[in-house]
Amino acid sequence: MKLILIKHSAMASICMCHFILKLTIVCTVVVATLGDNTTDSYWLLRIKSELIDPLGALKNWSPTIHICNWNGLTCEVDRTHVVGLNLSGSGISGYISGEFSHLVSLQALDLSSNFLKGSIPSELGQLQNLRILMLYSNYLSGNIPSEIGNLSKLQVLRLGDNMLAGEITPSIGNLSELTVLGVANCNLSGSIPAEVGNLKHLVSLDLQVNSLSGFIPEEIQGCEELQNFAASNNMLEGEIPSSTGSLKSLRILNLANNTLSGPIPTSLSLLSNLTYLNLLGNKLNGEIPSELNNLSQLQKLDLSRNNLSRSLTLLNVKLQNLETMVLSDNALTGSIPSNFCLTGSRLQQLFLTRNKLSGKFPLELLNCSSIQQVDLSGNSFEGELPSSLDKLQNLTDLVLNNNSFTGSLPPEIGNISSLKSLFLFGNFFTGKIPVEIGRLKRLNTIYLYDNQMSGPIPRELTNCTSLTGIDFFGNHFSGPIPETIGRLKDLTILHLRQNDLSGPIPPSMGYCKRLQLLALADNKLSGSIPPTFSYLSQIRTITLYNNSFEGPLPDSLSLLRNLKIINFSNNKFSGNIFPLTGSNSLTVLDLTNNSFSGSIPSILANSRDLNRLRLGNNYLTGTIPSELGQLTKLNFLDLSFNNLTGHVPPQLSKCKKIEHLLLNNNRLSGEMSPWLGSLQELGELDLSFNNFHGRVPAELGGCSKLLKLSLHHNNLSGEIPREIGNLTSLNVFNLQRNRLSGFIPSTIQQCTKLYELRVSENFLSGAIPVELGGVTELQVILDLSRNLFSGEIPSSLGNLMKLERLDLSFNQLQGQVPHSFGQLTSLHVLNLSHNHLHGLIPSTFSGFPLSSFLSNDHLCGLPLALCSEATGKERMQLSNAQVAAIIVAIVLTSTLICLVMLYIMLRIWCNWIKVAISSEDGGMVEQKTRNGEYWKMNSAELFPSPDKQNSATTCICDQKIDAEARENTLVR
Amino acid sequence: MSTLAVLSALFLLLQCPLLSLSTNSEGKALNALRRRLSDPNNVLQSWDPTLVNSCTWFHVTCDSNNHVIRLDLGNSNISGTLGPELGQLPHLQYLELYRNNISGKIPEEIGNLKNLISMDLYDNQLEGNIPKSFGKLKSLKYLRLNNNKLTGSIPRELIHLKNLKIFDVSNNDLCGTIPVEGNFESFPMESFENNKFSGPELKGLVPYDFGC
Repeated sequence: MKLILIKHSAMASICMCHFILKLTIVCTVVVATLGDNTTDSYWLLRIKSELIDPLGALKNWSPTIHICNWNGLTCEVDRTHVVGLNLSGSGISGYISGEFSHLVSLQALDLSSNFLKGSIPSELGQLQNLRILMLYSNYLSGNIPSEIGNLSKLQVLRLGDNMLAGEITPSIGNLSELTVLGVANCNLSGSIPAEVGNLKHLVSLDLQVNSLSGFIPEEIQGCEELQNFAASNNMLEGEIPSSTGSLKSLRILNLANNTLSGPIPTSLSLLSNLTYLNLLGNKLNGEIPSELNNLSQLQKLDLSRNNLSRSLTLLNVKLQNLETMVLSDNALTGSIPSNFCLTGSRLQQLFLTRNKLSGKFPLELLNCSSIQQVDLSGNSFEGELPSSLDKLQNLTDLVLNNNSFTGSLPPEIGNISSLKSLFLFGNFFTGKIPVEIGRLKRLNTIYLYDNQMSGPIPRELTNCTSLTGIDFFGNHFSGPIPETIGRLKDLTILHLRQNDLSGPIPPSMGYCKRLQLLALADNKLSGSIPPTFSYLSQIRTITLYNNSFEGPLPDSLSLLRNLKIINFSNNKFSGNIFPLTGSNSLTVLDLTNNSFSGSIPSILANSRDLNRLRLGNNYLTGTIPSELGQLTKLNFLDLSFNNLTGHVPPQLSKCKKIEHLLLNNNRLSGEMSPWLGSLQELGELDLSFNNFHGRVPAELGGCSKLLKLSLHHNNLSGEIPREIGNLTSLNVFNLQRNRLSGFIPSTIQQCTKLYELRVSENFLSGAIPVELGGVTELQVILDLSRNLFSGEIPSSLGNLMKLERLDLSFNQLQGQVPHSFGQLTSLHVLNLSHNHLHGLIPSTFSGFPLSSFLSNDHLCGLPLALCSEATGKERMQLSNAQVAAIIVAIVLTSTLICLVMLYIMLRIWCNWIKVAISSEDGGMVEQKTRNGEYWKMNSAELFPSPDKQNSATTCICDQKIDAEARENTLVR
Repeated sequence: MSTLAVLSALFLLLQCPLLSLSTNSEGKALNALRRRLSDPNNVLQSWDPTLVNSCTWFHVTCDSNNHVIRLDLGNSNISGTLGPELGQLPHLQYLELYRNNISGKIPEEIGNLKNLISMDLYDNQLEGNIPKSFGKLKSLKYLRLNNNKLTGSIPRELIHLKNLKIFDVSNNDLCGTIPVEGNFESFPMESFENNKFSGPELKGLVPYDFGC
């Protein structure tokens, strides 16, 4: 402000001079001196020659006109020498000539606000009479020449808003008359020179928006007359020097957005003239010194975005002139002090957002009747809002979001007629919206989302005709959307998602012509889209998913050309989807699970930014338009569960970013194309339940990011390609019910992340590959059923420790169930039926139903009949007599072990009781060591039985007994 | 001037939640998990919090009601910690986080996952105790915590898990005694190997966490 005043007075005086000159000068002065290099006019014309003057500001700088009549010049009384040159804002460009140095009488030079480039000529340092030098707002580059320091009479130096770089020359400290130094908005680096402290008469020091670093020099205290010190937006570090407090004249102190640290010096409280204090965006810590309450002239205070902690000590009662207090983004705790405000205060803005403040809504604030904006968001305030809130008659913004407020909104809120913004989201408010809200004619934004409010949306809300934003997301509002919603002509955001709203969309909504976002998803709304929607020409996003909307879309929706996001999924819309294709800007179109019919419009390809196209679960017919291949940003294409026919267009191979390609459950036909393998980003490919034929393309092995590959229920033939082994990320692989033949490739073992594998109902043959046992993460199911697999079951399958379901039924498998299957401890569904297996069922399988084993050659053991002598005759390795002997031996030895153990236990138990008794009056240490020995001695033998079904006699059988013997004991 | 800037910044900030709110609570929980994890292989790249739900995120599987039932991040080279937000996936059946570098404690909130069938946290760097809250996992069949750095004793609450088929805590630093009741009767010794167990519990003789 001060600077502007100075500038204005300078301008005024120049104007005056012009006027006087024009009146008094009648006769022309001899111009013979023009060729003389000792006159100012000679040098001025040379200076002019280096300037470009598109607006003609220098047009009358001509030898034929007396120099004192030249535009922008001020002459001395003797009319021979120039004392002032003001070409501010004249549109001139070019360079500042070094010839200026010859204008020795020059006292004021103002070339500000032009398009000058190049550097500041060091020759300017020769202008010994110069008092004012203003070059701000140009395109000057280079350093500030140190010769500037020679201008011993200089009072005003303003060089800001240029591209000056380098350090602030320390010679500036020589300018002992300087009152204004402005170098803001340049690229200056280095530190603030300590020599600044020599400038005893400095009134304004503006260093803002540079790259200054280092400390603020203690010497600054030498600037005794300093009123404005602005050094914001630099990289200053260290503490704020406490000597700043000695700058008694200081009115403005702005050190915002630096990296200053340490506490706020209490000495700042000595700055009794301070009206503006801005320290935002530093790393200041500690508490806010209560001494700052002495700053009785302070009008604006911003300490936000620091690490200030402890409780709030500042009081509006003391800071009587305070208009703005911003303490946001600190770590302040406690509540707002009870004597914070007083009637008649001037406080207009109070921002305390994102601190750790707590307590109830501060009733004290209600005394600040002048307050316009209150932001308490992001704290831990709780309790109800006071009904006397309407004492704040000047309130325009009430920002209380993200706290823990409870209770309902007081109806008195309708009395705050000045209210424009009401942000109450992210609290625990309950109850209804008071109808009195309708009295808030100036209300612009009402955000109540993420609360527990209920009841209807009052019709009266539509009286708030200034509303531009309504967000009630995530409450329990019920009933219809007010029919009169169309009165809100300025509404741009209407977000009512996740409530219990019912009824239709009122036709008047079409008159909210500025609407850009309409989110009605997750409600119980019904009916159809009113034709008036075609008036919503600015709408970008409509989300109606998870409602009960129905009926065809009005054709006129195709007039909505700005639509970007459409999500109508999970409704009952029917008819053609053509009305939704009017926009070329679509990014998301999700119509999943409706009753749309007709074909997929090829015009969709005009929306080149489309990345999600989901049309699944409808009744769409016809073919997949080849034009979709133009959608190079397509990420998700879901056309599943429709009645689509024909081939998959090869043009889709151009959709290189596609990650989800879901075409399952249609009537698509043709061969499965090799180009699928070129979709490198593919993570999910589902072509199941179609009529695809031909081979599984080996190229699919190129889709190395594939997680889910579902090709089941088609007519695929040929072999499973070995390249499947390249799909090392694959989780789910399903080839069920095709006509595949040949072997399962051994490469399958490279699919180490496979947790679900189904190849059932094919014509696969040969042995089950041993390598399948290497796919150890198989978990959900391994289904090889209904194929032509033969040979023995590889024992490696016993490594599938996580496998929960195994189906090998309806094959031609032979031999025994491998003993290793005993390790399949996770298994809970097993089907080995309809094979040619024989021999003993592993004991761990005895809990499975009969059906798991039916229709084999000679399987025996639980749950089937026990193995008779005849059953195992081919493969029996031990004679029956030997088996009997082993069984008897084992039963005997285990009984013996049991008895021995019982004896040992009894003895130990007796000992232990003694120990326990002694430890009651003795020490814990003893007990501990005793017990330690005890466990060491007996840990192996005392281990619990591995299986519930063991009889009492085998309950303490040794764990190290090998698997075979264990099974034998079970069979008995 | 600066207050004006603050004001405008404030209103910009206020607009932001509107965009990010289009996610459901399960999506929020998964997103919170993502923020804890370091993911050099970008397996979580598809986790877009602005989507309606997380069912189209890779490594996440939903049921027909769009509830998350599987989380498959096994062997994915992820590191970081697990947080309480995992407890907010109430329909989760399979929690597959095995073979990674996940460290820190197992959040007790996992105990809220009433539908959990399988919890595979094996081969990580998890430390701290096995949460007592696991006793609430009534559907749990498979619990594999082996090859971590877990300490403390086996909480006795686990003996009430009627469906538990697999309980593998081998290769940890667990101590105390091994429960013998409930399904613990049938777990093989290998499931307890390489710990500091003092042996099986003898009911009533010593406290089960004796010596821990």
